[in-house]
Amino acid sequence: MSEIVFANVSRAFRRDGRDFPALESIDLTVGEREFVAIVGPSGCGKTTCLRMVAGLEFPTSGEVTVGGAAVRGPGPERAVVFQQFALFPWKSVAENIEFGLKAKGVEAAARRATIAGFVELMGLQGYESAFPHQLSGGMQQRVAIARAYALDPAVLLMDEPFGALDAQTRSVMQEELVKLARRNPRTVLFITHAVEEAVYLADRVVVMTRRPGRIREIIDVGRVRREEGWDRLERIEEVMDQPSFVHLRTHIWKSLREQQQTNGQSNQGGEQ
Amino acid sequence: MAVSRTKASRAQLFALSAAGFASLFALWSAVAASGWVAPQFLPPPWAVAERFAFLLSHPFAGYTIEQHLVSSIGRFLMGFGLAAAIGVPLGLAMGWFRWLDEVVSPLFEAVRFVAPIAWVPFAALWFGTGIGGPTLVIFMGAFPPALVNSYRGARFVEPRLIEAAQTLGAGSWRVIAQVLLPASVPSIVAGLRISAGLGWQSLVGAELIVASSGIGYLMVKGQSNMSSAIVMSGMIAIGIVGFAIDIALRRVEAAIHARRGL
Amino acid sequence: MMQASARRPAVALASIGGALALWWLFTATGVIPAMRFASPREFADAFEQISSQGYADAKLWQHALQSCELVAMGFAVAVAVGVPLGLAMGWSPRAEAFFNPPFLLLRPIPPLAWIPLAIVWLGLGDAAKVMVIFVAAFVPSVINSYTGVRSIEPHLVEAAETLGIRRGMFLREVLVPAALPHIFSGLRLSLQAAWTTLVAGELVGALRGLGQVLSAAAQDIYPAMILVGMVAVGVCGGAMTLALAAAERRAMPWRAA
Repeated sequence: MSEIVFANVSRAFRRDGRDFPALESIDLTVGEREFVAIVGPSGCGKTTCLRMVAGLEFPTSGEVTVGGAAVRGPGPERAVVFQQFALFPWKSVAENIEFGLKAKGVEAAARRATIAGFVELMGLQGYESAFPHQLSGGMQQRVAIARAYALDPAVLLMDEPFGALDAQTRSVMQEELVKLARRNPRTVLFITHAVEEAVYLADRVVVMTRRPGRIREIIDVGRVRREEGWDRLERIEEVMDQPSFVHLRTHIWKSLREQQQTNGQSNQGGEQ
Repeated sequence: MAVSRTKASRAQLFALSAAGFASLFALWSAVAASGWVAPQFLPPPWAVAERFAFLLSHPFAGYTIEQHLVSSIGRFLMGFGLAAAIGVPLGLAMGWFRWLDEVVSPLFEAVRFVAPIAWVPFAALWFGTGIGGPTLVIFMGAFPPALVNSYRGARFVEPRLIEAAQTLGAGSWRVIAQVLLPASVPSIVAGLRISAGLGWQSLVGAELIVASSGIGYLMVKGQSNMSSAIVMSGMIAIGIVGFAIDIALRRVEAAIHARRGL
Repeated sequence: MMQASARRPAVALASIGGALALWWLFTATGVIPAMRFASPREFADAFEQISSQGYADAKLWQHALQSCELVAMGFAVAVAVGVPLGLAMGWSPRAEAFFNPPFLLLRPIPPLAWIPLAIVWLGLGDAAKVMVIFVAAFVPSVINSYTGVRSIEPHLVEAAETLGIRRGMFLREVLVPAALPHIFSGLRLSLQAAWTTLVAGELVGALRGLGQVLSAAAQDIYPAMILVGMVAVGVCGGAMTLALAAAERRAMPWRAA
C-alpha cells in the first residue's frame, strides 16, 4: 500500500528551447516500510526524485506510483519534511503540528490528544505555545517531523532534513530519527549528500551519478547492520566506529568520487 | 493541486489585460455619453485628448501646458536638488559620526510627522507665489527619504568591509572615501528615487495653493472654470512626467545593482 | 561606549532643549522678524486661544476631530476594498491581468492631483475630501497586499499542500497570515497618504479641520496660529501612526521584537 515505484522515470527541463536532462531512466522500488536513502553529488536530481513522489513535480516520461496508484499531486499520505523546515511562522508549535489534522477535519479534542503525544515523543514539552523564530534549528526540525508524523502518513519523504543544522545537533537528530523509525516504521525516502548519515539511517542506499542523474548502484546496508548488530549499540559514534560501517562508507565515497573520472556513462547498478 | 496558483495561458492573460484596459475606457465613455452627468463634469476620453492637444498650443491661465510643465519641473528640480544636496551628505555624516546622529535625530524625529503639505502656509507667507514657496514644500517632502536612506546606507555598512580596509592599513579618511561612500551608494540611490516621488507629489500639492504658474496652478484654474477636461489634461501631464522620473531613476538603480552583482 | 544608551536620551533632550532655546533667542532678539515666524510665547498664546475660545469657527479639538474622522472614513473604505483586491491580484494571474492595466494608468497620478477634479465633481464639502483620501489610501494598500502574496515563500505553500490543505483553510490560515507584514506596510503608507491628502484638501477649501486652520491662519497672517496648526497636524498624524503600529504588533504576535 505504500510501496514507491519509479518506472523508467526521466525528467528534463526546457529552457530557451533546449532540453536539459536532469534525471534519466530511473528504475527504483522502495518496499513497504523500507528506509531508503539517496546520495549523490549536488544537482544530480535526488531532490527531484523526492519531489516527484511528493507530487510537487512530475516526470517527463515514465511513471511514479505509490501503493500502485500514480502520483497526481501532493497529499497528506506522503508527508514531506523540508530542509528549511517550512514551519508556518505565524503558528505556534502546537498549531504547526496540528495543521495537517485540521486540514483533514479532525476535531479539536482529538487533535489536542495527538499533539500532546507528539510533543512528548519529540521532546518539545514546554514549547507548545512558542513560535518558530524562538526555537533553535534542531527544535524547529523536530516540530517539522512531528507535523509530518502527526498525519500518520504511509510514506515519509525527507529532503536533506538535517542539512541546515550544525554538526552536533545533526548527530543527535540522526540518533533520534533512528529510534523513531524503529518504533514507528513506515516507508521512508531520505535524501542527503552526507554519506555517513545515509549509511547510519537506511536499509538501502542508492548512489546516483552526477547530472543527468542515473542510479549508479544500490547498496544493501540493512543486511550489514543486522549481521554486525549495529542496533545493539547505543550511540551514533559507536556505530560509525565499526569497521563494517567504515568499509561501507568508504565504498560509497569511492563510488561518488569515481564519477569525476568517468564521463557519466555508468550503468544502473544491481544490489551489492 | 488544490491551492496552487491557477495557470492561465499567455493568450488568456493578454485577452484579460486588453479587456481590463478596454473596460476602463468603455465605462468612462458610457457614463460620459449617457448624459447622466453634464459634459463639463465628465467629458468622454476623446474630448480630454482633444483638450490636451489644444492646450499644447493655446495658453490657458497664462501659458501653454508645456510651459506650465517646464515651470513645474524647474521648481521640482530646485527643491529636489536642494533636498539631495543637503540630505545626502548630512545623512551620510550622521551615519558615520555617532555624535552627529545623536544630536540631529531627535530634531528630525520631532518634525517628521508634520506632513510636508502643512508647510504651505509658511511657504506662502515667506515667499508669496514666487518660486520659493513650492520649492520649500518640495524640499520638505523630498528631504526625509534622502536623509534617512543615506543614513541607513552609511550606518549599516557591513562591518567586515570596514575591518578589511583597516587591516589593510587604510586611515580614517581613506576608509570613508573608498569604502563607506561606495558601499552606501545603493541606499542613496534608492532614497533619491523615493525622494523624487515624494517631491513630485508635494510639488503638485503646493502648486494647487501657492503658485501662479505650473501644472498644479493650471488644474486649479481649470477647476474654477468647472472644466474637467482641463483638469484631467493636467493630471495626465503630471502622471506622465512623474512616471518618467521614476523610470529614469529605476534605470539608474538597476544599473548600479547590475555593476555590483546585487 | 557603555554609556551610549544612557547618553542618548540625555543628548536628545539637550538637542531639543537647545533648539527651543535658540528659537526663543532668535525671536526675542529680532533675528527672526515677528511677521515671519512666532515666538514661543506667541505660540503658547495662539494655542490657548484656539483651545479655549476657538479659531476659524471651532475649537482645536473640533478641528482635529473633523480631520481625523474624514481620514478614518476614507482610509477604512480604501483598505476594505484595496487589500482584498491586492490579495486577489497577487494570487490569481487572471485577476492581475484584468485589473493591472487600469491600475498602471492611474497609479502615476499623485493623489493630490485628484483634488481639483474631486472639487469639480463633488464641490468643496466633505465628500470631495473623502474621495481623494480614498484614492490616496487605495493604491498603497493594493500594491503592498499584492507584494505580500507574491513574496510568500514557496516552501510554505508546498508544505501546506503536502499536508493536504484545501482552498478555504489555505486562504485563511496560510495566505493572509503570510502576507500580513506586507499588508501592514501598505496600511502604514496608506495612512500617511490619507493624512497628507486630507490636510492638502482642507488647505484648498474647507469649513473646518486642521488644514482649514492653517489656511485661515495664513490668510490672517497669523504665524503663531500656523505653527499651532502644524504642530496639531504632526501630533494627530503621529498618534494615528503609533496606533497603527500598536495594532500591527497585536496582529502579528509571532514576530521577533
